[in-house]
Amino acid sequence: MKNNKKKIIIGGIILAVLIAIFTVCYFKFYAKPVEGSKKVVIEVVDREGNTTGYKLATDAEFLKQAMDELSKSDKEFSYKGSESEYGIMIEEINGQQAIYDKDNAYWALYVNDNYGEYGADQQPVIDGETYTWKYESVTQ
Amino acid sequence: MKGDKSLFSAKDIAYIGIMIAVIEACKFALSFLPNIELTTFWLIMFTLFYGRKTAILVPVLILVEGAVYGVNTWWIMYLYIWPLLVLMAWLFRKCESALFWAIFSGIFGLCFGGLCALTPFFMGVFTEGISSGFNTAFSFWISGIPWDIVHCVGNFVFMLILFKPIGKVMKKAFHMEQI
Repeated sequence: MKNNKKKIIIGGIILAVLIAIFTVCYFKFYAKPVEGSKKVVIEVVDREGNTTGYKLATDAEFLKQAMDELSKSDKEFSYKGSESEYGIMIEEINGQQAIYDKDNAYWALYVNDNYGEYGADQQPVIDGETYTWKYESVTQ
Repeated sequence: MKGDKSLFSAKDIAYIGIMIAVIEACKFALSFLPNIELTTFWLIMFTLFYGRKTAILVPVLILVEGAVYGVNTWWIMYLYIWPLLVLMAWLFRKCESALFWAIFSGIFGLCFGGLCALTPFFMGVFTEGISSGFNTAFSFWISGIPWDIVHCVGNFVFMLILFKPIGKVMKKAFHMEQI
């Protein structure tokens, strides 16, 4: 009976120590999600000319993927678009619609203040760049 | 039975069949709960009450498992994990405390992932060397620790609750008929 008690105590200590070691090891070594390697800024210049900038660390290859990540992580940023033969046409950002046929306006993309050459799903994401979506009205 | 000089009688073969059926039925019944199993409990109980003949039950069980679920890396892990459990239980067979066996089962459940990691370790060693084997095994073990803790708790609770009632039944089933 005494022997049993000794075994139980030793076993209990071993179990407690193992749980402690395993827990420490898990929190020290488990695979933590890493921040994206490319740091970019996505800016929105709205109808009134107000600029809102969003910093983003991403591994996205193209701007659309980065915008998708941003819309998930920052509830203030949202966008909508429609697919066309040239890729996605951005029609609404942060609730402001700019459809050329209806609103005489469109969302123009600037890359580091230069007019963009690609659409959102073809624009490569490069570390350090700033992508600006600007509400541009044709009547301006 | 006492006059029977052969190592295994027809009754033993029937017993082993029933024991494997019990393990497989419990495994199937609990398959919806990840890392909660009764295989550890049954193998310990069979080792304690059925004795050294459990050694033959384990390879048969592993073969049945392979036949039912298909042979994969987990099956290679079973080749050494379950025999090790039976061997360890056999070493402590004189202990009759439910709490001791609950702790024993808990430790086994907790170390299950670490024991399983030996397989990716050797796979890594044979393909890309020792450091690769170590890295593979270590990340395998670390990622599974939360589930090892679940395994530990499940084993501990099952053993603590079931040891005495099932032990009574087993005493009747295995020991009484030999008297």
